[in-house]
Amino acid sequence: MTPDAGGTMAAARRRLVGEGLTYLVAIALATLVSALFVIAMRGNVLVAFGTLLSASLGSVGGLAQTLNKISPLLLGSMAVMLGLRGGFFNIGVDGQIYAGAIAGTAIAFALQGWNLPGLIFVPLMMLAGFVGGALFGAIPAVLRARWSVNEIFITVMLNFVAYYLTEYLTTGPWNDPITGEAITVAIPVAANLPMLVPSAGAHSGIILAVVVSALVSLLLTRTVLGYEIRAVGDNPRAARIGGISIPWITFITLSLSGALAGLAGAIEVSGYHNRLVLGLTPGYGAMAILISVLGKKHPVGVGVASVLVAVLMVGSDSLQRSVGLPASAGFVFQAIVVMCVLLVDARAAKRS
Amino acid sequence: MDPATRVPVTPTLEMRGMAKRFGETIALRGVAFTASQGEIHGLLGENGAGKTTLMNVLSGLYRADRGEILIEGRPAEIHGPEDALRHRIGMVHQHFELIHNFTALENVLLGREGSRWWLRVDRHRADVDAVARRFGLAVDLDAEVRRLAIGVQQKVEILKALYRGVDILILDEPTTMLTPQEVDALFATIRGLADQGVAVIFITHKIREVLRNCDRITVMRAGDMVGCLDRAEATEQRLVEMMIGQRLAGIGEADRAVAPAGDPRNVLEVRGLCVANDRGARVLEHCTFTLGPGDLLGLAGVAGNGQRELAEALVGTLPAAAGTILLGGRDVTRARVRDRVTAGLTYIPEDRIEDGLLPHLSLAENFMLGLHPYAFNGRVAFDQATARTLARRAIAEYGILARNEDVKAVDLSGGNIQKVLVARAMEQARLTGGQALLATNPTRGLDVRATDFVRRRLLEFVRDGGGVLLISEDLDELLQLCNRMVVIYRGAIVADLPRSAFDPYRIGALMTGTAGKTGDAPPAGGSTP
Repeated sequence: MTPDAGGTMAAARRRLVGEGLTYLVAIALATLVSALFVIAMRGNVLVAFGTLLSASLGSVGGLAQTLNKISPLLLGSMAVMLGLRGGFFNIGVDGQIYAGAIAGTAIAFALQGWNLPGLIFVPLMMLAGFVGGALFGAIPAVLRARWSVNEIFITVMLNFVAYYLTEYLTTGPWNDPITGEAITVAIPVAANLPMLVPSAGAHSGIILAVVVSALVSLLLTRTVLGYEIRAVGDNPRAARIGGISIPWITFITLSLSGALAGLAGAIEVSGYHNRLVLGLTPGYGAMAILISVLGKKHPVGVGVASVLVAVLMVGSDSLQRSVGLPASAGFVFQAIVVMCVLLVDARAAKRS
Repeated sequence: MDPATRVPVTPTLEMRGMAKRFGETIALRGVAFTASQGEIHGLLGENGAGKTTLMNVLSGLYRADRGEILIEGRPAEIHGPEDALRHRIGMVHQHFELIHNFTALENVLLGREGSRWWLRVDRHRADVDAVARRFGLAVDLDAEVRRLAIGVQQKVEILKALYRGVDILILDEPTTMLTPQEVDALFATIRGLADQGVAVIFITHKIREVLRNCDRITVMRAGDMVGCLDRAEATEQRLVEMMIGQRLAGIGEADRAVAPAGDPRNVLEVRGLCVANDRGARVLEHCTFTLGPGDLLGLAGVAGNGQRELAEALVGTLPAAAGTILLGGRDVTRARVRDRVTAGLTYIPEDRIEDGLLPHLSLAENFMLGLHPYAFNGRVAFDQATARTLARRAIAEYGILARNEDVKAVDLSGGNIQKVLVARAMEQARLTGGQALLATNPTRGLDVRATDFVRRRLLEFVRDGGGVLLISEDLDELLQLCNRMVVIYRGAIVADLPRSAFDPYRIGALMTGTAGKTGDAPPAGGSTP
């Protein structure tokens, strides 16, 4: 037994080193290609990369912005990852973020007059976001579980539903007329997430996001439900013959996936905007899909990839000021990283 | 070509010093092989002996690390299937390479279905039909392949190779799923081909078929060529020794299932079961049979006559349109899969990869599939320690070749996967106290040792008072193991026979629906195989 265990450990370590190496090569390649892109745009490579890093990590303010960005990215990616592990494609993270944000905001407005302490108000709001996302995720879940309707199309279409519902609410009944924008009036202060670094504006959503992600990881590896989700994702036929109810796993997986995204929406409202805002998610859903792929559907990998993407997002805002690159350069860098990782990964897979 | 001129000076095919390794596994250790025009050449060996690897090299699927191939005495460079085709080498694989949503005709024509741009399928139809008729391969050319039974799909594969025109035809374990009549017909076909000058290479682990049908026999073991015998020199004893080095005890009369006296209640009872497939067509018609304790009941039939649907209906993945299924007296006709397992049904699925395996989960996690509702007593936590302990015990007890219980299932060989599934089924029956075991083709593609092992486990289950329904397309297996047999033809049970009435040719006739025409009595000479 002992030599076996030793062999496994060694093999696992070799695998881990191999994966690490793959990523190093991919990052090196991505840096090179990105540098060429900067040169092509007549920018200074060193200044550009320096700005990227210093803006996102080099100052307390930048760090705070990065931390704030990690929360929705991490939770959204966990939502996508959970779905993928069960064999489902949740393309509706954006919609579910809005659904959670709307539910959270609704609760905040509904309980406005009750003078609840933050200790109760904030958890209630988070719960509302979680439930709102779950209900929104339950729509494709039921359709898929009961009638085998493809969840990809449904989740994509529901993104529009959620977006325009948000537009209606932010310009209609909940609109703050003073601003003249598609935003609502502020939620009560007691419903705001406590600040982690008040001076820099970092809210404590990151803690919640990390804790919930750890719970998702535990769910997958340590519970019977997680095992059944993974079994269905790996081979639904065998899972079914093994006595696992496919409709039930479909329902629970897609609903939970939506719930994670919904929680992200509530965090954005409660922690960052302090109100419902149209444009609450600048496409976190699409990024979440990329992050899940980058992180290889593994919680740790997804965590690392979320940080990387958050750094790129925050850093690229300042590229325009420093090197005259358009802010969208950040998206180009992201795309380059993803393509490089996929390329290097495919090469490595082919070799072995 | 008459037999006297069957040995030409230059062999049609000569392979010299063929060597191939896959990672750390040595598949071929410098194998020499020859095959001549007009002969049926048996390539005999256990699973993993290297037979298929050697032939995959010849047909261009693998590249050998070393060795040379001579065709008609001239060196041949075979780097891909198209090279093999150019040298007029064709292979029918054990796992078919058919496109499932194409028709049989489209599959046969694949790659030569028209001119450069335009499909001309119908233009070639008559040619294909002629080839099919000439070799006695009756196939519905317009049927989609995925709707065809596995046995029929094999015919399409053979037809595909024949249509391309081959001088060297390789058949990889072609008889596994055929009735005795069909096997006879297949060998008549092959003999016809050989007489027309084709060199037929017949890969198998079945010694009797080799002795009955082959002109020469090459035996391989563990990547080595052990020897090449002419038919006249070969005996069963000698071939067994060459194949596995030692004699297995074999399953004797004493091991066979005998229904014990005692609890007369049936472990499984099926009454008037009707099932429709996913297109709404009736595939099972009023099936009725019982499985008592101590019964090893065989279900014989040609692939595609409703066996798969019967298994799915019993397991609960296909709903019954009419009829009743009783497990230990309890009506489970509408019960969910898990409730049936709880009620005492255990299943060894037909397609071990598609139906039984979680490829990217660990061996331990695979072992828990279907056990997990019982082994963890309904707790929320998935107890990895319990899973590992159970898996480790199975590895030891069933001789599963795996580094440890953490390896991914996809890295196990076919035989080892089957052992995992058998071990899992036995463990499940132990946990639930299950008395009914449903096994579908549990030994397909396994080597002599593993087959023997699985069969002994089935017999043990029966001896312990359980009942086994063995659905197998290998009639020899059913004849050897069962104490009773039912025959299925076009979704209906057409016979229920006690062991005393086992006669392969009569059962074969029942399987093919020709029993009525030839009369119910065994045909004259039917007992000489």
